[in-house]
Amino acid sequence: MKNTAFRITAAALLVFILLFNIGTVLRHKGMLSYHENRKLEPMPEASVSSFMDGSCSRQLGRYMTDHFACRSLWIAASADIQANLTESIVNGVYVSSKRLLNADFPETFPTDKAASSVNRFTSEHNGAVYFVAVPTSSGVYSDELPPYMTVNYEREQINAVYDSLDNRIRTVDACNILKMLNDHYIYYRNDSKWTSYGAYCVYRTVIQKLGFQPVTLDKYTINHISDDFYGNLYNRTRYTKAKADLIDIYEYPEGARVMNCTKTMSDGKVVQSGQYDIKKLNTGYKYDVYAGERAPVTNITTDVNNDKKLLVIGDSYVDCFIPFLVQHYTDITVVYPEELEKPVDEYIDTNDYEQTLFLFGIDSIGRENFFENINN
Amino acid sequence: MIYSSLLFIYGFLPLALLIYYAFPIKYRKAVLLAESAVFCGMISLYYLGFMLVYAAVNYFSGIAVEKYKGRRIAYLPAVIGIAIDFLTVVLFRSAWLSPLREKLHIPEFFFPIGISFITLSAIGYIVDVKKGVIAAERDFSMIALYFMFFPRIFMGPVMHCRKFASLINSRKYSFSGIGAGLTIFVKGFAKKVILADNLFMLCMAVDKTELSELSAITAWIGAIAYVVALYFTMSGIADMGVGASMCFGIKMPQSFNYPIFSPRISYFSIRWLVQVKRWFSSYIIKPLYDLSADRFYRVIVTVFVYGMIGYWYRLNINGIVFGFLFAAAVLIEKRFRDPKTMDITGSVYTAFLIVLLFVVFRGDSLTYSIKYLFAMFGGNRVLMDSVSVYLLRCYILVILFGIYASTDLFRNLIMRSGSKKIRNAFIALSPLTTLVLLIVCTALISYSGISDNQMLIL
Repeated sequence: MKNTAFRITAAALLVFILLFNIGTVLRHKGMLSYHENRKLEPMPEASVSSFMDGSCSRQLGRYMTDHFACRSLWIAASADIQANLTESIVNGVYVSSKRLLNADFPETFPTDKAASSVNRFTSEHNGAVYFVAVPTSSGVYSDELPPYMTVNYEREQINAVYDSLDNRIRTVDACNILKMLNDHYIYYRNDSKWTSYGAYCVYRTVIQKLGFQPVTLDKYTINHISDDFYGNLYNRTRYTKAKADLIDIYEYPEGARVMNCTKTMSDGKVVQSGQYDIKKLNTGYKYDVYAGERAPVTNITTDVNNDKKLLVIGDSYVDCFIPFLVQHYTDITVVYPEELEKPVDEYIDTNDYEQTLFLFGIDSIGRENFFENINN
Repeated sequence: MIYSSLLFIYGFLPLALLIYYAFPIKYRKAVLLAESAVFCGMISLYYLGFMLVYAAVNYFSGIAVEKYKGRRIAYLPAVIGIAIDFLTVVLFRSAWLSPLREKLHIPEFFFPIGISFITLSAIGYIVDVKKGVIAAERDFSMIALYFMFFPRIFMGPVMHCRKFASLINSRKYSFSGIGAGLTIFVKGFAKKVILADNLFMLCMAVDKTELSELSAITAWIGAIAYVVALYFTMSGIADMGVGASMCFGIKMPQSFNYPIFSPRISYFSIRWLVQVKRWFSSYIIKPLYDLSADRFYRVIVTVFVYGMIGYWYRLNINGIVFGFLFAAAVLIEKRFRDPKTMDITGSVYTAFLIVLLFVVFRGDSLTYSIKYLFAMFGGNRVLMDSVSVYLLRCYILVILFGIYASTDLFRNLIMRSGSKKIRNAFIALSPLTTLVLLIVCTALISYSGISDNQMLIL
């Protein structure tokens, strides 16, 4: 009896293991994953040093993991099992049917480094500098996270950054604004970023600091261009119990129009582009509709005739914020420090702008060397 | 590469088995050595080089010791060999020597995995040869296999070279043997991925709270989770090793025998990493006991050796203090315990003491452990808070199941059940449960492809 059972076990397990072994070997090896929205690990290249330190086999392990047969099914199953087994934390994301929240916070936070870069930028420029640090959804919905996670974590980080900024820099407390409105659809359920509406709520305050009156909400027509957006938190978990998100485009028919939009790529080439990139709706990350292909510098000119120029330095939080700004400036230049490969002054003359607006997700500021290239 | 990874289970293991069984029996030992070398080489070529040099050092000192047997000069190669073995483990593992490691530019990946087990094996081998208990191994491939055999690398078991050689030479091949091996392997995989990893996550959650704000219940949850998680991590890795080697027809002994709920505290030490305690008994305790029968002297020896065992695990002051406290508990038990005390009370107080002792064990400093114990007994003046409620609600199933699985109740249910029906039903279901466990565990590691927290690097 016992031996028969073991023979069946051996047969069943070996067949199963070999099936997935062969399936993994034969599988078509793409470069990108749609559901995870990332580049997949390539087959490691053999070299003496990679054999010496074992990095070759570690990469082989990642390669096999990324191309494992039925990977997306396995990951979806894993999310379901993990969420039911113990805490609802899957790969560092807190999942619930209401929303997904990042629960994987870095241990250290380089506040000083970020603040000193911004301070240096301010001291070397004559124009006014404005600074907005935006919390992620984990900061705004921190009450929904497990109680042992520091509830005011992002709040504290934002305050720490603001406290170390130069007095000349004007700041906006986006965290407070957003927290008060958190029963509205201001953050995506499946992404850590704000929605267009969230951006609008902060825009109302920011634009007044910049010296304009905000456009009231009723003037806009809102187009839902997608109702099945799954964002970066979904990409990490493939957890589908939270409802898909909407992507909205705010249009102001009587307002100013975008006349021209160009992008400076990292090799210095300047290309024409549209304000939105609707084709991105067919990719794994539909939020990219707002900004299109990533480039270090984007320039937008409008038919507003006040000759005012604004420099925006930021990250992807800026993408859905720009459509509100175009109503007030003739010329807006957006710089993404993340994409910069050389100092920003090699692309544009930052002294051309009377106003500079820093606008970031607080998680970006936590990245090492994030602001490295905004100064010479 | 570690056992609980997709690369090992769906890549290395099936290929290694295929190649192994494709060769005629007389070549299989060589194939096994080659595959072990590949396994070590995949950790890093430095590691493979280290292992070969290490094996060579012990091989030659064994031969030299034997050559001068009976003469005083035989001590020289023995002492040199043991000193090299001992220094390697201290050099690589001791936290005190980390500045030296940095000075020597020893890269992170060069940490020789399993060095603590290998050292015990190596020292035991030389001592045995010196005493004349065994002959020095003349076959270098056997010595190399003794140190590099891949199912033994991470969690032992520590055993005599002769015993190992006899296991290798008495391989038994059968299809049902592979099934039995895979069953044990998957059991270990499940212990690691389902129980240990989740309980470790619980430990990390408890650690997020400042020690001075920890409520008593949360502290207890964390302490219990640590012991159970450590047990399932280590026994899970050990089971995977035993299971994998059984697939190659080699039956290695088990290292754990349901230690946490032992009926006596002294049994805990012989049921937790069985072979390690046995090693310390035969190579340290026994020779020291033989010097004198004085009771007080033997008490000192016991305390000293337990301190040493604790140090072997942790290589810090906490390990030593843990060993001393453990020895005290064993001695007090020996003195006062009524031999007729019921098993169940014994198991409960053992588990209780083990949880407390492991708070000392786990800390990186004594201050940490004392503060933690303080919190466990309500020193922070909070019995329970929202964190305890949340953690209990989320983890209660895994905690209870982990506690149940670390007792021998289930095994006894099967083994001692009078009804043949129950046993047969269980056996009939085992292929299915094994396959389901493999699928669940594969899903759980599918995102990162690896489950690599080892809690304690040995």
